[in-house]
Order: sequence, then structure tokens, then C-alpha cells
Amino acid sequence: MRRRAGVGAIQKHKIAQEKYKDKGNEIQENQFEQMTKQLEVFRINLEDFATKHKNEIRKNADFRRQFQEMCATIGVDPLSSGKGFWSVLGIGDFYYELAVQIVEVCLATNEKNGGLISLSELRTRLIKARGQGKQHQEISMDDLICAAKKLKIFGSGFSVVSVGKGQYMVQSVPGELSMDHTAVLHQAASFGQAYASVNMLRTQLHWEEQRCSRALDHMLKEGLAWIDLQEPTEKRYYFPSMFTACINSK
Amino acid sequence: MSSEVEWPWQYNFPPFFTLQPHKETRVKQITAWKALILDYCGVNKICSIDLRETNEMSLFTNAAINRTLESSALLVILEELQNSGNAIPMDKQRQRWEIYWHTLEEFSQIIYNYVMNSNSLDMVLTIFELTESDDVANEEFYKLNSDVFIKVLRVLEKDNKCELILLEDSQGVKFF
Repeated sequence: MRRRAGVGAIQKHKIAQEKYKDKGNEIQENQFEQMTKQLEVFRINLEDFATKHKNEIRKNADFRRQFQEMCATIGVDPLSSGKGFWSVLGIGDFYYELAVQIVEVCLATNEKNGGLISLSELRTRLIKARGQGKQHQEISMDDLICAAKKLKIFGSGFSVVSVGKGQYMVQSVPGELSMDHTAVLHQAASFGQAYASVNMLRTQLHWEEQRCSRALDHMLKEGLAWIDLQEPTEKRYYFPSMFTACINSK
Repeated sequence: MSSEVEWPWQYNFPPFFTLQPHKETRVKQITAWKALILDYCGVNKICSIDLRETNEMSLFTNAAINRTLESSALLVILEELQNSGNAIPMDKQRQRWEIYWHTLEEFSQIIYNYVMNSNSLDMVLTIFELTESDDVANEEFYKLNSDVFIKVLRVLEKDNKCELILLEDSQGVKFF
């Protein structure tokens, strides 16, 4: 005859369960403690690393690029906050400083280029303004793009536009450039001339005449282009931001 | 006439010679033209511009890029120069203009300071020696056209700082 489970057995079972649970908790706590310890070690190491290489971060453009890549792979943006953990690295500070300097250069040259500047001119001017120290000189294009992109948070006032062949321009006036306008800049840049025209765009981009003149006239209205009516064959739209003599002027 | 003007970058920028339709760009363009014209005239001691002769002036024609400032555009710029006291039309058609690379008031200060510093107060000086002699070769008013120079002296005369003595064959002035 099958005996029913007695009160004793149930109690025994319960106690066993509780013991398992306790053990489980203990293991979990151990693991958590270990993880915390590991994180702590990681943080200390990273801080050590940062303090040790703080100068490297500011000085070495390659190092910064690699660090950026590393952070991107593990899904961390060291620029997202100037506070807390990542701030000890000084990476954010470096780019904030750069971003402020970019704004300064853009404002200073707005008078002649209407708020559009090539990244290479920006870099030359920035380096000149930053002074003679070696760590001030080694600013890479990547650094600039990275810092300039951060300025997007101010709305459409700042944007980085690719104009092909690894060339970039930074726009610092309100009013976003459309795909068409970017394509116009692209054409002007790729011909090594500082201008574009309806004919050029029709031939190169196979656009309708209307589309060409609408894009060009828009850039005229935005103050990014100047018009030249003295070429016998066509109206030319010049971009001071691409005109060598303008780039090299004070 | 050889010019020692340092051409600004705009001088080689083809659209600089076409009056810009966009307001802000035009302001920049006119500002640059005003500065260039005054600089050029000051260096070359040019006191007047005739709109009908601008093709011959390297100031308004850049042969290298085959561009000439249109006279309608130049007229707009001259009117701006007039607003700042740096130009005055000489005829009703506004074709001939007097150009002052300093305003008459600025010139009057410069000349008066020069006379004071050279201890020439209370002396009769000729306008010729004040504008043509080697003594003033480095002064801003050297080679200033005598008509313009007399206009400047009229400004000083109003303030009782000088008295003009205009005779038929000689023009003199006494400062005090």
C-alpha cells in the first residue's frame, strides 16, 4: 500500500528547497561581487591608462582615431557626456575645445565665404590659431569631422558636407543644403574650379535646365555663391569658399 | 602710372566685377570695392574718376581675367563712397567724380596736425609747397589736387583755424 507523503517529508523537501535557494543566492552574490570587483579593476586600469596617456590623447591624432574606433565597436560614445566616468579620459574635452575653435574660424571667415568653408582651409586656419606647440598642430581631418559633427546639436546651423574625393566642406549658416546643392558643390570641387554653371550641371549630372538653375539660384540667395555675368557663353556661379586666392587671404 | 596697391583676393575673383544681386553679398562686395578704390587712389594720388574712362584704369579692369567693372555698378559704389564722405559728383550726369581717400574732415585734421608739428602756425604758406614740396612727400596729403586741398582748407577756415589767401597767380594760407 502506497503511503502518502507525510508532514515530515514535506518539511524535509521545503528545507532542501530553501537550502538550494540560499546557495543560489550566495553564488549570485559572489558573482556579483566578483563582477563589481572586475569592473572596479577595469575602471581603475582605464583611469590609469587615461592619466598615463592623457597627453597622448591630446597630441596624437592616430591614437585618437583608434580610440574612437574602439569605442564605436563596443558601443560607447565618449563624447556624449563631459561628466562622469568618461570625462577622466579627456577625450570629450579635446573635441569640445576643437568644436569651439571650429565655430570661431567659421564665424571669422563668414565675411568672405558666406558660411561655407572647406575642411582643409578650416584645418589650416585652426592650426594657425592654436599656436606653435606640437600637440596643437597635430589635428587630423578625422578629428575635425568628429568635432564638427558634434555641432549638429545646434540644429541645422552646422553641418559637414561631403563633396567627393575625400573632400569635405563645413557649412555654418542656417538652412540645410539639399542633395542637389551638395551635388553642385561636388561638381565645382571635382573640376578644380571654383564655379558651377547650368551647362556644366546639365552635362555632368543630366539634370533638367530648371533643376540646375533652381539649385544654383538658391545658393546665390544663401550668400554661398557669387554670380559672374561677364563670361560670354554662360552665367557662372562662383564659390569663394573654393577660390584659392580667397582661401589663402587673411 | 605704376601702382603699389596690394590687390585684394577679390580683384582676381571674376564675379567681383558683376554687381551682386544678393543683398548681403552685395554689401560685402561694395565694402571691398570702396576700400580698394580709396587705397588705389591714395597710393596713386588720383583725385578724380571719370566713368567714361574707367576701361583704361587697371583699378577697374583686370586684363588677366578679362573682367571690367560695369559703369552701372561703379555708379552704385561711388554713391556709397559719397555717403561716407569719400566722393562727390562733379557734374549733373554724375560722370565725373572727385575722390577723397580721406574725407575732407579727416584731411583737415591731418593737415592741421602737420602744420602744428612743423611749427608753421602764423606763417603764410603756399598751397604748392604744402602739396608738392619734398618736405611733405611722406604726408597723406602729398600731391592732393589743389581744388580738393582748398576744400579741405575751407573746412578749417570755418573753425577759424586758417585763412585762405587766394590771389590770381598764387594761392596761400595762414594757419592759427
